[in-house]
Parts: sequence; C-alpha cells; structure tokens
Amino acid sequence: MQFHRVLMLAIAGVLALSGCQQPSGGATGREDAGVVNVYTARHYDADLRLYERFTELTGIRVNRIEGNADQLVARMQAEGEASPADVFVVSDAGALWRVQNAGLFQPIQSEALTTAIPANLRDPEGRWFGFTRRARVVAYDPAKVRPEEVDTYEEIASPRFRGRLCVRSADNPYNLSLVGALLEAWGTEKTTQWVEGIVANLARAPEGGDRDQIRAVGAGVCEIALTNTYYYVLLGAGDDAGDRALVERIKLAFPSLDGLGTHVNVSGGGVVAGAPNRENAIRLVEFLGSAEAQTMVAASNGEYPASPSVPVPPPVDAIADFTAHPMPVSAFGPRTAAALELMTAAGWR
Amino acid sequence: MAVAIAPLVGVAVAAIRGPWADIATAPFAGYALTSALLAVGVAGLSTVFGLTSAWLVATCRFPGSRVFEWLLVLPLAAPTFALAYGYADLFDVAGDLRMGLRQAAGFDLPVSMRSLPGAIFVLSLAFYPYVFLAVRDALLNRSAVAAEAARSLGASPGTVLWRVTLPMARPALAAGLALALMETLADYGAVSFLSVQTLTTGVVRAWSVYGSPASAALFGLPLIGTAAVLLAFERWSRSRRAYGVQATGWRDTPRPILSGWRAALATLACTTLFVAAFALPLGWLGWNALQATPEWPRLLHASGRVFGLGVVAAGLATALAAALALSGGDRPLLTRLAGLGYATPGAVMAIGLLVPAGLIWRNASGPTVMFATGLLMLIYAYAARLMAAALEPVSAALTRVRPAMGDAARTLGRSPLDVAWSVRAPMAKGGLLTAALIVFIDVVKELPATLILRPFNFDTLAVLADAYARDERIGQAAWPALMIVAVAVPACLWLTRRISRSRPGGDRP
Repeated sequence: MQFHRVLMLAIAGVLALSGCQQPSGGATGREDAGVVNVYTARHYDADLRLYERFTELTGIRVNRIEGNADQLVARMQAEGEASPADVFVVSDAGALWRVQNAGLFQPIQSEALTTAIPANLRDPEGRWFGFTRRARVVAYDPAKVRPEEVDTYEEIASPRFRGRLCVRSADNPYNLSLVGALLEAWGTEKTTQWVEGIVANLARAPEGGDRDQIRAVGAGVCEIALTNTYYYVLLGAGDDAGDRALVERIKLAFPSLDGLGTHVNVSGGGVVAGAPNRENAIRLVEFLGSAEAQTMVAASNGEYPASPSVPVPPPVDAIADFTAHPMPVSAFGPRTAAALELMTAAGWR
Repeated sequence: MAVAIAPLVGVAVAAIRGPWADIATAPFAGYALTSALLAVGVAGLSTVFGLTSAWLVATCRFPGSRVFEWLLVLPLAAPTFALAYGYADLFDVAGDLRMGLRQAAGFDLPVSMRSLPGAIFVLSLAFYPYVFLAVRDALLNRSAVAAEAARSLGASPGTVLWRVTLPMARPALAAGLALALMETLADYGAVSFLSVQTLTTGVVRAWSVYGSPASAALFGLPLIGTAAVLLAFERWSRSRRAYGVQATGWRDTPRPILSGWRAALATLACTTLFVAAFALPLGWLGWNALQATPEWPRLLHASGRVFGLGVVAAGLATALAAALALSGGDRPLLTRLAGLGYATPGAVMAIGLLVPAGLIWRNASGPTVMFATGLLMLIYAYAARLMAAALEPVSAALTRVRPAMGDAARTLGRSPLDVAWSVRAPMAKGGLLTAALIVFIDVVKELPATLILRPFNFDTLAVLADAYARDERIGQAAWPALMIVAVAVPACLWLTRRISRSRPGGDRP
C-alpha cells in the first residue's frame, strides 16, 4: 500500500544514507592510525587543507563538524559521555573560556606546545592553546583621518568621530572580547563611558560583518571602522577587484591600550574531556600548534602565528609590525556576559 | 502523535530546567516588538502581492496568464537567505549599484536592505506564494453556480464580486497568511543576515552568547504560543470555507479576456512581481557566483546529501502525517499540537531535540550509532517541524472520503485498521504526494536545525551557503544557494501541477 511503501522507502533511505557515508564517516578506521573527531567553530575553508595535511603526515582520518561554538557545546553536553568529540577548535578566546568553564576540556602535558605558545596565549593548566592571533584594530580613510588620531582605543570613542564610526553588532564574539579586555584593564565605569562614546559615534546602526565596515569606510559612509586584521588581508587577497582597490586606499591603524599594545585575540583549541581517541587528539592539537600549521593558517587566512619564533608569512607580514598587549587572553571569557549587558544597555545593537 | 510533540516537550523541559542567564528583560521586549512588526508588515505586503496576482491569474485571461500560474509560485523554491543575500548585496551601500549611481547621477538611494523594512520586503517576496496558491485555489474552485444565483436575484457584476466572490476567497486568504506568518516568525537565515533582531535571533543569541539553552528555550515559548494561535486561526478559517461548493453541480466560471491597456497592466504587474521575487535577487547572486570559483566536490556531495535527506524526510513526515490523519479524525487537539512545529524556529526545535537525543546518545555508543542517531534526529526534526505542512493536504484529501465508504467496508467484514489501510489510504494518495513535495522543498531549504543536529562531515547546501555568507563571501555562497533552488524548482513545479489538477474542474488546461 502507499503508506507501507512510503515507510519502507524512508527506512531504506536512512540505511542507504548511512551506508554511503560509511567510508568517510566515523566508522572504525580501516587504517591502523584511526580517527580523530573535531568539533570546530572556525568556518574558514583553509582549515580543510590543514586537516588534509594532518592526515598526510600521520595517517589519522579527521572527522569534523562545524558549527557555532555554543551550539556545539550544548550538543556535547547533550551527548554526555557518549560524545565522540576529541578536539574542540574555536576562533575566539571568550569561547575557549566558555568551553573550559563547561568542563569540556582536559588538561594535557605537552612540551612542544608549552614551549611554542607564549603563556598569555594559552591556559596555564594546559586545557587549551592559542594557535594563531588576530588584532582588533581601526581601518581608516587617510584622506580624512590622521593616524595619530586613532592611536589609542579611547580616541575611537571620542567626540572627534561623532557619527563617523562603523562597527558590527554587539553580540559578535570579537567585539565582546574587546570590551571584556577593556573591562579587565579599565574597570566598569570607564568602559561604560567608552561604550557610550562608541554608540554616540555610530554612523549607522550595526549591520553586516567586518568586511562590510571596511567597505563602508571606502564608500564614505564613515571615516573609521573597528575590524579584525585578517579581514583586511583577505579583502586585499580576494576575488573582487573593487575590494582589492579598497585596500590600496584604506589603511589600518593599531591603537594602543594603556600604552602597552593592541588588543589581541586568539583562535585555538584543546583536547575534549573524555575524548575517545585521546592520543590522536593530542597529536592533532600539537600539529595545530606547530610551526607548519601556524604558517598555513597565517598565509591562507591572514592571521598572525601565535609563536614569536614562527616568521609571519606574506601577505600578512605587511601589517605585522605592531606591539601586542600582554594581557592573558583567558581574561576575556569571564567578562563577555557582563560586556554584552553593558553594550546592550548603552544601545549598541 | 507523541512523536511530533516530543521536541516541544523537550523545549518546555529545557526552559524549566534552567539554569537561566541573568538577561535583562528590556532586550526581550524589543525582540518581541520587532517580531510583531515584522509579522504585521509581512502580512500586509504579502496580502497585496498574493491577492492581486492570484486575482489576476485566476479570474482573467491576459498574455502570459497561464505561464504566471506556475511562475509566480517559484519563489517557494528559493531559501529566504538566498533572497536576503541577493538583495542585501545588490543594495549594499558600498556595492556596485549604489556606487555607480552616486558617480553617475550624483544621488544615493535612501534604501537600506539591512533593516526592518528591508526584511519585511524580502520575506513578503519569499512567502507571498502561500497566499497566492491558497487564494488562486479558492478562486478557481468557485463555481459559476453561486455567481449565477446571485445574478438571477438581480445583483450587478460588481455586487457579485464584492458580496459573493471575495468573501469566498477570504478564508483562503486567511489560511495562506497564517502559513506565511508562521514561516516569517520561524525564519532565522534571512533575518539574521539583514541584522534585524527578532525573537528568533534572540533565541540564538541567548544560547550563543549567554550560553544558556534554558533562556533560549524560554524565549522560544512565545513563538510556539503564537504558532498555536496562528494554527487555530488557520483551522478556523478553513472550517469557514464550508460554504464553498459541492463537487456535484459544479460549473466552470467563464474568464473574461483582457485586452488593451488592461491586459498590458496585468502582464506588467505579474512580471514585476516575478522579477522582484525571483529573477532579480537570484540573478544578482548568479552574477556574483560567476566571479568566484566554486568548490565542486563539496558542492556535489552536499547536493547529493540534501536530496537524499529531502526524500527520506518527505517520506517519514508523510508517513507520520498519514498515520495521524488516518487515526486522528476524532482527536483534533492532538492533530493541532502536532502542527505547532511549523512555526517553531528550527533552532528552538533543535534545542528541544537535544534533550531526547541526549538520552539516546548516552545509552548507546559507537561511531555508527552516533552517525545514524545524528541523521535520524535531523530527519526527525524536519518531520516534527513540517508535520503541519504535511498534515494539511493529507487531511484535505481525506475529507473526500465519505463515512459511507468506511461503513461499507466494515459491513464486508474488514477490521478498522484494514479500513484505514485499504480504503482511506488510497484515497489520500494524492494528498500524500502533495504533502511529500511540500516537505521535500522545505527540507532542502532548512538551515538552523541542520546546523545543530547534523552528524560528522555532513554538510548540506544550506549549511555551506550559511558558512560562506558568514565568512562574508557572497560569491561563494551563491553557488550552494542557487543549487538549492535548482533542486527545489522541479519539486515546486510538480507541486503546482498537482494542486491545479486536484480542482473539481479537473484536468482542463
């Protein structure tokens, strides 16, 4: 009967889908080296080549799920002890802290990683490590703005730029980490004043991503924009001729926080607590922190390597000459919720 | 029935269980207001689009009217986020169009797509086909009998229009609007891309930033509540259609042929609507796509997966809907509950499903089980969400089964189950196929639940499009978005033909 047929079709379909996925799915590895399951909140294509390289070097297959960091956390918590996650990779220190706070990372001892990654870019107990860095800086139009007008974070919120600033929405992790860092450095009162200054300086209600903010500076909608460094690099290396021309015109300024350097965030990861393939997971995390991986990500995605000993590859080297603020990146995470409340209260949508 | 309600129970459980984040209530009220404004705006605009076009196509003949009958349904095949990417990029302040205008004409369009009006515009274009289909169906079904009766009683053509024909289309309008509004409230992809903060984006924000699935579930409850209201409204309006026509004594209403400026106007109106809702945004996306090199292996894998998923989910949802409809004739409340999933945002549904999924995952282990469970959960999420959509045509088809048929079968010695199997189910066959097509189209476009529940290495086209778009690479995002349209268009055309064929007027062209 029709109903019967439909039901059989459904069951057959599920089996067929399972079957056809088996070779690339998480089944018991045919190779001796096994598998490693990665939950990643990074959504850049370049990472696929990274995992392929890892498989080339070690023979371990990489299974990955991409998603939003907190949705992946909720999923891991629902999966409980049966969770197949071995490695968790995210592109914001605040998210790293949230995963750690949920008890989902396990500490590992790794000579290679502790020597390669500076202490302020990793968890002191070895639960997670930053692999690459990005700075949150100002893109400006040199025809309208002099570089000395944007060399501190306070100046971005000053009346000089009333109605001339473009920035993305408040719930973006990069903004949250920046404000979290400011809370750490300045305390609540001064940070609230800064956020209110930002809101007063908005040229338009926040819309779009960082690249849109840079393009808005180019289109004359605003004079300055807050952006991550790698978006600028990616625009310059992208498919669109208009974007490349934009990067010729618009420059980056590296504002200083309290004279100590520019706010820096990391992308990183760690081994998941209760990982079923723990040894493979450690090898993957060590690979991601290795000089080769850092260079690959830096070259293809415009980020800076976390290790000071790894030379910055082109095209990022053009904007690599700056001082990074020494604040430990683990300080942002605990403050992101407070940061968002502060920002929403001030009207930063 | 429990199958469909489980995720909603999961949401309630998640909401009650806590822990809740310390979120100020002020943003919540703002989100609710924005959602309400969005709903009102979309209701108004899609009524204008859908009612006008359905009216033109169903009651008159003009150049191209037969083509527009199916052309104007095509926007259903496009995911809303595809329309959003297309329009946002086209009207981007730093985009080619406006830069060009500024240089050539010296002025700038005061238009911002990334705003509430922009979202209302995009979603109205995406969802007016629901209104169009429903109203067109009602208008085509109207028999000449009622109009002739009115004329014989002395009414002028205008009075016939106003007091006989339009009221008969009103319930259909309400039904179409209810569907469009449920989709609007549940939408995430387009709304978040256009930077509009509704309850649905608030749900995801509560989950992501505050890390509190419980708060997210709490935000989701008003959405489910509104869905209940809309669903009740839709059922009520359908019951009011009882004063429609009998299958016997039906006569086709003559359709006047427009000529001259009227015909030109009609054609122009329909063409503009089609261009605005389909050709322009997707064409612009396609133009962008040509400037980016697609990653064919990933795209082809994803297409295969999404097609397979669509077929399987359609099968399952239809089977479930059939089971429900066949057995739920005397339990309308459960049927309505099952339909609530439709207006539940995918993200909320996924949160709800993580609760039962967790139970399964904790009790069974092994990679194959994980994969199969992930897949099953995903298909289950689709089925639970789309039960309402599947239920509608199946129930409608079943209303044609007269009780006498069942009774006759019983007197011949068949058991009630047998009656359901061999008498009612075949009569519902047409409805089942329509239901399957509707579910297939919706699954191919689905995004939030897929993002959360999918197993390893399992990206669908919608997931790829979203990943590229979040990475601000519209050119790359255009490829999977357009491929979704390519996969869904045949199903859409088939669906339109089925709906046309099921009229009492039958298979006349």
